Amino acid sequence: MLEKDKLRKADIFSGVIFILFGFWIISQALKMPMKDSWGGVQNVWFVSPALFPLLVGAVISTLGILLAGMAVISVGGQEFGRLLRWLASSQLIVFLQTNGVIRFYAMSVLFFGFVYLNLPRIDFFLCSILFLAVFISMFYFDDDRLLKKLFAFYLAGSIVCLGYFALGLSETLEATLPYPNDWLAVVFIVSYLAYAWILIRQVPALRKKYRTSLVLAVVPPFLICPVFKYFLLVPMPTEGLVVAMLDAIWYWDF
Amino acid sequence: MMLLERIGTFFTIILQLVSEPITLAILFGSVLLGIIFGAMPGLTSTLGVALLTALTYGMDTATAMVCLLAIYVGGTYGGSYASILINIPGTAAAAATALDGYPLALKGEAGRAIGLTTTASAIGTSISMLFVVSISPIISYFALQFTSFEFFLLAFFGILISGTLTSPDLVIKGWISGFLGLFMACVGRDLLQFYPRFTFGFTQLDSGVEVVPVLIGAFGIPQIIQVLKERFQIGETQKLQRIIPEIGTVIRNVPAIIRSALIGVGIGAVPGIGEDIAGWVSYGTAKNTSKHPETFGKGELQGVLASETANNACVGGAQIPLLNLGIPGSPPAAMLLGALMLHGVTPGPMITFEHPTFITEVAAILLLSSLAMWVTGMLLAKQVVKVLRIPPPIFMPIIGMLCIIGSYSLGLNIFNLYLMLPVGIICYFLTEMGYPIAPLVIGVILGPMADENLRRALMVSQGSFMPVFTRPVSLLLFLVIVWTVISQFQFYKNFKNKLVARLRRKKSVAAVGSNGPPAEE
Repeated sequence: MLEKDKLRKADIFSGVIFILFGFWIISQALKMPMKDSWGGVQNVWFVSPALFPLLVGAVISTLGILLAGMAVISVGGQEFGRLLRWLASSQLIVFLQTNGVIRFYAMSVLFFGFVYLNLPRIDFFLCSILFLAVFISMFYFDDDRLLKKLFAFYLAGSIVCLGYFALGLSETLEATLPYPNDWLAVVFIVSYLAYAWILIRQVPALRKKYRTSLVLAVVPPFLICPVFKYFLLVPMPTEGLVVAMLDAIWYWDF
Repeated sequence: MMLLERIGTFFTIILQLVSEPITLAILFGSVLLGIIFGAMPGLTSTLGVALLTALTYGMDTATAMVCLLAIYVGGTYGGSYASILINIPGTAAAAATALDGYPLALKGEAGRAIGLTTTASAIGTSISMLFVVSISPIISYFALQFTSFEFFLLAFFGILISGTLTSPDLVIKGWISGFLGLFMACVGRDLLQFYPRFTFGFTQLDSGVEVVPVLIGAFGIPQIIQVLKERFQIGETQKLQRIIPEIGTVIRNVPAIIRSALIGVGIGAVPGIGEDIAGWVSYGTAKNTSKHPETFGKGELQGVLASETANNACVGGAQIPLLNLGIPGSPPAAMLLGALMLHGVTPGPMITFEHPTFITEVAAILLLSSLAMWVTGMLLAKQVVKVLRIPPPIFMPIIGMLCIIGSYSLGLNIFNLYLMLPVGIICYFLTEMGYPIAPLVIGVILGPMADENLRRALMVSQGSFMPVFTRPVSLLLFLVIVWTVISQFQFYKNFKNKLVARLRRKKSVAAVGSNGPPAEE
C-alpha cells in the first residue's frame, strides 16, 4: 500500500475515476427497459433490470464524490497544483522507469502474453514452460540490470509472435509443418535460454540459479498438467506438440 | 431426541470419513498443503482454497469439503510458523502472532510456541465446530422467517460491514470496493427478465461473471505482483527445539483459550470479516485483561495463544453465516461458497431441508481437520519450516501458472482467463491505493442475492418500501445499516463526543450536588 500522503493524492484520481464510472453505470442502466415492454412483458419500474445497476451506479458516484472531496480538502489546493505539475513534468517519465515499476511491467507483460497471446494458440505445456522460464529467471537472478535485458528480449520475442499470429502465417505453414506455433514456441524458449546463458555465464552464483530456473520451468508443467489432463480429465486450453506426444505415451498409441 | 439423533449422525459421519483411507489421505494431504500455504509468506489460505477448488471439481461433495475445509484450517494455522520463526506473518491472520511469537523464538522457545499454538489452534477450531452445530439450527429457523426485504438488507449489510471493518485506509474505500463487487455481479442476463446487462455483445458474459476465476484473480494475481515487485526477502529462520507442549501450560491457559475461541467465533460469524481481525481483537483483549500487559510484545505466551486460537476459531465462525444465510463470513469462506455452488449445494436457510445432514457433515469435517492439523503440526513442523527457505521468485511464478490452469479448468473456458487477469491487475491497483479486496469479493457473491431480492420484495409490495419499516427484522437491519454508515462520518463522531461530554458534566454536577458544595479553602 502507498504511504499516507501519497494515498490522499491518489484518492483524488481514484475518486474522480469512480465518479465517472458510477455515471457510466447509470447511463448504461438508463438504456435498459424501465417501463417499456421486454420479451412481451410490460415492465414496471420496480421489476426493471435497470433498478439495481442504477442503485449501484448512484452509490459508487456518490462515494467517489465524497472520496475525492475529502482527498482535495486533505491535500490542499497548493499541493494538488504541485501534483498536477509533477504529472505534466519529465519526473513522471523518470518514475515510470524506476526498477519497481519495470518489475511491474515485466510481470504484467508476462501474464498478458501468456493468457492473451500464447495460451489460445500454443500447446499449454510449451507456453507454461516459456512463462515459467522467463518469469523465474527474470526475478530469481535478483539483478535489475539483467531483468531489464531479459524483459526486453521477451518483449521483442512476443512482438515477433504477435506479428506471426496477426499475419496468419501459422495457417500457411501448417500445410508443410505440423504444429508450426509450437515449433515457434520451442525456438522462442531455446533462444531465450541461450540469451540468458550468455548474460550470466561469467557469474558462478547466477549459473546455479540458471540451472534451478531451468529445472523449475520444465518440471512443474509436467507434474501439474498431467494431473489435470489425465486424472481430472480437463482438456488443456490448447493441445499441440507436447500433448500429442504425451497422449501417445499415456494411451500407448505406438 | 432431535439432539441425540444429531449427535448420532455426527459420529456416524466421522466414522464414515475415518473408515475411508482415501478420505483420510486427502484430509492429511490437504492439511499439510494448507500448512505449507499458510507458512510461506505471500501465499494465503484463501489462495490455497481457491487453487484446490479446481482439483475438487471431479470429487463428490463430501470429499471436496474435506479437501477445502482441511486446507482452510491448515492454512490459517500455518501462518504462525513464519510469524514465530522469521517475524514475517505467513498470512494476515497470523500478523498478531508475530508480536510475541518472534521474541519467544529469540529466547530459544520457538518449538514451545509452535507446540502451544498448534494445540490452541486445534482447540479453537473444535470449539468453533460446536457453535456451527448448535447455533446453525437457530439461525436457520429465524432465517426461514425472512422475506425478500430482509435478504436484500442482509446482503447490503454484509457488504457494508465488510467494507467498514476490512478497510486498511478510509472506510469509504471499503464501501466502494463492495459496490464494485455488486457491479460485477450485475454483469450478465438479469435473473428475473433475462435482460443482458453490461455484456457488450459477448455471449460468454450472458451467464454472468464466473465467481471462482474472479476470486482467484482478485486474490492470486495481486499477491504475486506485490511479493515480486517489492523484492520480498525471507529472513533467517530461528531454530526449532521441543514441539510437544506441556500439558500444564495448556491447562493453565484454558480460560484464555476459551475466551479467544469465543472472540474468533463471534468475529467469524460477522459477514466478510476474516481471521486477521479475529487475531488482532483477541490479542488486544488478552493484553487488556492481563495482569501484566507490559510483558506483551516481549515474548508473552498468552499473546501468541490468543491470536492463534481466535484465528482458527474464526474458521468455524465463518461457516455459520455461510451455511445458514449464504453469506460468507471470511474471504476463504467466500471461496468455499463458490466451491459449494460448483458442487450443486446452495447454502442458505433451505440447506437444512435440501441437505439435512450437511451442516453436521461440515462440523464433523472441521473436527477431523483440527485433529489432523494437530497431528501434522506435531509430527511434521520441523520439516514444514524448511519451505520457509524457498525464495518467492521460485514459487510465485508456479502459483501464477496454477491460478491460470485452475481458473480455466473450472469452466473449461479461456474467456474466464481473459476476465481473471484484468480483475487481478485492477485488484492490485486497488490494494496499492488502500482498497480492501474482501468486500469486492463479497459483493460479487452477494450481488445476485441483493438484486433478486430487492426486485422480488418490491414486486410483492407493488413498489412500496414501507415493509422495511413495518417488519421488525427489516427495520432492525435498516437501522443497523444507517448507523454503520453514519457512525463513520465526522459529524456523528463530533455529536457523539459532545453528547458524552455533556452527560459526564451533568453526572459530575449531580455528584457534586449530592455531596454538597466543596469546602472553601
